[in-house]
Amino acid sequence: MSLPPLLRKILLVDLIKGLKVTFHYQPPSEAVTEQYPLERPVIYERYRGQPRLKVDPESGHSMCIVCNLCALACPEQLIVVKGERNPVTKRKEPVSWTYDLSRCMFCGLCAEACSTDALELTQDYEMALYSREGMVLDQKALEEGQQPVRYAK
Amino acid sequence: MLDAIKSYLSTSATPGEAGSMLWATIYILIITIGISLAVIAMNWLERKILAHMQIRLGPMRVGPHGLLQPFADALKLLIKEDIIPENADKLVFWSAPVVVTMTAFTTFLVVPFGREHAVTDMNIGILFMLGVSSLGVLGIIMAGWSSNSHYPLMGSLRSSAQMVSYEVAMGLAIVCAVLMTSLQTGTGTLSMIGIVEAQAAQHTWFIFKMFPLGFLAFAIFAIAMVAETNRAPFDLPEAESELVAGFHTEYSGFRWSLFFLAEYAAMLAVSSIAVTLWLGGWLRPFPNWLSGPAWDMAFSLVPALTMFVLAGLCLLGAARMPKIPQMKIQTAGLLIFGLLLGFIGLVLLLPGVRERVQDIYWFVAKVAFFMYLYIWYRGTFPRYRFDQLMKVGWKVLLPTGLGVLIATAVWGLLPQIGSAIMGVLP
Repeated sequence: MSLPPLLRKILLVDLIKGLKVTFHYQPPSEAVTEQYPLERPVIYERYRGQPRLKVDPESGHSMCIVCNLCALACPEQLIVVKGERNPVTKRKEPVSWTYDLSRCMFCGLCAEACSTDALELTQDYEMALYSREGMVLDQKALEEGQQPVRYAK
Repeated sequence: MLDAIKSYLSTSATPGEAGSMLWATIYILIITIGISLAVIAMNWLERKILAHMQIRLGPMRVGPHGLLQPFADALKLLIKEDIIPENADKLVFWSAPVVVTMTAFTTFLVVPFGREHAVTDMNIGILFMLGVSSLGVLGIIMAGWSSNSHYPLMGSLRSSAQMVSYEVAMGLAIVCAVLMTSLQTGTGTLSMIGIVEAQAAQHTWFIFKMFPLGFLAFAIFAIAMVAETNRAPFDLPEAESELVAGFHTEYSGFRWSLFFLAEYAAMLAVSSIAVTLWLGGWLRPFPNWLSGPAWDMAFSLVPALTMFVLAGLCLLGAARMPKIPQMKIQTAGLLIFGLLLGFIGLVLLLPGVRERVQDIYWFVAKVAFFMYLYIWYRGTFPRYRFDQLMKVGWKVLLPTGLGVLIATAVWGLLPQIGSAIMGVLP
């Protein structure tokens, strides 16, 4: 439809076109809003969220062998792993693990560097906390996942 | 007492005509409450429709589908701290919202919701409405001036300039409609009821009269009325991005809600002018094409049907609510609301009620259409620049309005001119 510009102006063609567009968007099924606690977003497999340290389900040992590759790979250097050799099993086992979530940008380089696939970034995304200190995860938190903190007065 | 009520209800006269103080008071109370409820409903509808146009959901949490949101907002506004700026002119600051609200509500004195559903039938009805509603500008200037702050002052100056300039075009468009009332009888009328009765007598709404003149006049009015009520795309006085909130920047709590109330009441008032003048007021649609007692009967059932449809929507919504314990109360509330609407629909089916409510229904339906237009505009159009606004007002609407007025007058005089020429000719 190509009317001369003056006629377009007089007949308000462009305005009516705009009105049509907004009218068609009206059915609520078009809405992209997500009612968050009721509806949860679809999280895809490769999403990088809360870090997890895996435990071997058969032996119950941590799968981490303290090779320190994750700490080296981390651009923010927020991973600190210390371990010592277990004299019985002759395995190197982690003694202290810290993962500072507050500085993490979820690049996933640590999980990629991990030689035993012990560290992974899971699909959990609810990581809100009441304090900064809580963002520094230790081995227990990394293995069990962050537990939700209930607000208490 | 009951007999008095019955005898009044059997007559078809406005309280003004019947000279009944009591009924006038009752009507005024009903209208005031009705307008306030309509503003509350508008608040919810505006947020909902606007949200849907912008692919959002809008209020969803307070009550089912956010139905209680306006009540929550009103409660919040009422218990909010009432701040008067230290350097404000206290008296003027205090009286500005009162002036704005009072003028907006006073106009409804002459709005004919039906042949007998107006507080009074003033013989200068339309003039009264225009006069009183333009007093609202005074309140806005008072608010802007007394706030003693830059943004409100700028907002109120813009507002007054805009309202004054668009009132001219608006007046010209109204005169066109008033001219048309004189076509058959020879004498025109300014009375709101008289204008609708003239449309009934001429068997056409004035929007279709003398096509395209009636439509042009209506179009001018439809544009001017958006500017007159400071709504998007002409919402320069309250342009959020430039002026914070325009003339009511410094107002908070209850005073602010009075401005809000007045804005929506003014929108309802101008919409009812448009409906009365061009869209046949309380007359039902298609009176010529679908005439006869059967169609009259069918159209008188529409109000009840509308209520049933609304009730059905509510019940459907209740059925589609998420089935979780947190939503139990909301679902029950929606169910009760739906049943209530259904009950109102049943009441509207009663013959006596049906006859009397029909007029109000058609009037309100037409006004509701305009209200939807307002929201639709707001969801679609970007704001005009101030010089563009003035250009549209003075360079486009005013000359067009004058042209339409002259053309209407000449067209109306054609038969007389013709007979005069015939008389001169031998």
